[in-house]
Amino acid sequence: MLKEKVGPESSASQISTAALLLQHEVEQFYYKESLLLDRHEFNDWFDLLDKDIRYFMPLRTNRTRRDQKLEYSKDGEYAHFDDDLVMMRGRQRKLMSDVGWSESPASRTRHIIANVIINDASDDQEVHVTSSFILYRNRLERQVDIFAGERMDVLRRSDNKLGFMIAKRTIHIDQSTILSNNLSIFF
Amino acid sequence: MISRKVTNMTTAKTKTRLNIGHEPKAFEKKNVWNVEEITALLDEENGTLDPRIYSDQDLYELEQERVFGRSWIMLGHETHVPKAGDFLTAYMGEDPVILVRQKDRSLKVFLNQCPHRGMRICRTDGGNAKSFTCSYHGWAYDIGGNLVNVPYESEAFCEDFNKAEWGPGQARVETYKGLIFANWDKNAPNLREYLGDATFYMDHMLDRTEAGTEVISGMQKWVIPCNWKFAAEQFCSDMYHAGTVSHLSGIEAGLPEGMELSDAKIPTVGHQFRAKWGGHGTGFYVGEPGLLVAIMGPKIAKYWTEGEAAARAERRLGSAERARQLMVQHMTVFPTCSFLPGVNTVRTWQPRGPNETEIWAFTVVDADAPDEIKEEYRRQTLRTFSAGGVFEQDDGENWVEIQAVLRGHQARKRRLNIQMGKGRSAADNPHYPGSIGYVYNEEAARGLYHQWIRMMTEPDWDTLGPK
Repeated sequence: MLKEKVGPESSASQISTAALLLQHEVEQFYYKESLLLDRHEFNDWFDLLDKDIRYFMPLRTNRTRRDQKLEYSKDGEYAHFDDDLVMMRGRQRKLMSDVGWSESPASRTRHIIANVIINDASDDQEVHVTSSFILYRNRLERQVDIFAGERMDVLRRSDNKLGFMIAKRTIHIDQSTILSNNLSIFF
Repeated sequence: MISRKVTNMTTAKTKTRLNIGHEPKAFEKKNVWNVEEITALLDEENGTLDPRIYSDQDLYELEQERVFGRSWIMLGHETHVPKAGDFLTAYMGEDPVILVRQKDRSLKVFLNQCPHRGMRICRTDGGNAKSFTCSYHGWAYDIGGNLVNVPYESEAFCEDFNKAEWGPGQARVETYKGLIFANWDKNAPNLREYLGDATFYMDHMLDRTEAGTEVISGMQKWVIPCNWKFAAEQFCSDMYHAGTVSHLSGIEAGLPEGMELSDAKIPTVGHQFRAKWGGHGTGFYVGEPGLLVAIMGPKIAKYWTEGEAAARAERRLGSAERARQLMVQHMTVFPTCSFLPGVNTVRTWQPRGPNETEIWAFTVVDADAPDEIKEEYRRQTLRTFSAGGVFEQDDGENWVEIQAVLRGHQARKRRLNIQMGKGRSAADNPHYPGSIGYVYNEEAARGLYHQWIRMMTEPDWDTLGPK
């Protein structure tokens, strides 16, 4: 049962070198991607978003076990983010602006990406990956926010320096009420 | 000083009956601020405001009784709870409530507290229920909030235990064109009377079509460490921050490729409204839709100002200007219901102590708008006015920093300037009811604080109510 859940190559004796390499490549991509955000090299980060990017963070609600399927808001409902590339490029302009007060002075962030699981790499060009994150933010004199959650990405092969573009990113945040004054940072 | 004796007498009188709550004729809470001190917090004549209005714990606690216990509080939209048994959990001030659609289509709002040991009856955000069962001892309530089942009632309780007396407190519920409001005070004016001349301006968003509005499913909630009045006042009265520096980067984020910030013309013509009674306020530019394009994009701007939907809005509102040319309208219905017609974000500012506010936000759309427009409204409001919104992010930044500064003694000692437009508004505009002045103005803010002070000091609706 575990085997089915975590993918066909989870049994140690069957792990191929190709799978190990891919796992390494994907993890290295995430570490370098995180550094771009954490070192405020935002223009390089936005360049990782592919032309058909959907950057999506649904709402998360408190439901009974019976209503569990309603926990996350669905397509067409309210969300924290649901952006395409044009919208994300707008956010980039805001972030780089001299008058973007919510990130000027900038937040100090640290993206810790772990539990990286490749769910589907059957397509040569696209990899479906699930990972967990802890995102620490410290800003101005003493504001601290800690966000945790899961990211479901579709990464697409690219000849850029990092090897992949982000084609889809769905973020499940582990909060129902967002315990922060804004979401002016990227996940 | 507001008399404690009256309160005690009232309590004593009801003691012959089972004493479950009572109807005091004066304020209950001990008044650590006297009437003169509260009244002095706002000096309308000179245009100054005492910053302790935002930071004082004792004022905050008085507010819970005197403002949030007596005002109409917005809880959601009718389409949040379309079917019998559909419910939302919400708040009126710090008090949790359950809003439920009844079988006869009416709405009930009752305290989300089991009167047995005080446990929260419902711990989820919403759903559909046939009944609500307290998870502590199993007391069960029907969807109207009536206590219908008590485990071991006959074996364990006593002769004078009467289930009919032990349901949670019920609030009054009324709606205005889709928005649901509730009020604990049975003596408060009805909702229409309370809204007064503000309905004229609410209709710019709520009454553009005979189909009315519907909600984009979902309610976004987030926390801003600031007093609720910063948010309520800004939506009531502050176009100034939008037209000057707060939101320049938000505009930048919405500019079409190749267009510069300096190309986006911020209008200079517009009006601000202060309600004749009630502390409600609104303001808007009048003119070209450039700013609406920068916020909501060309599709929404076109829908709002051109074509069949705009023509229908013009017929219903009886004015081309009101239907098509009022830009980026901001509005607050006292105390905590705020919204932006055109952007169509609607929210309640939930007080959480003097230093913290929860925002509960949702989006409405014309119920008969094409699906493409509804989807565009959804995407654009969450891009612009939400926790991650390119406009709203910067509001959070301002309010948090003001609140942090107000920790300081010197910062709280010096009165703030609230002079803008003083003596320049008048109730003589042939097209717009209420007191009308220039769009950059603090007349509506003075109105909001004036109403706040009246609610904090006048126990009796005979003097407080609209004449």
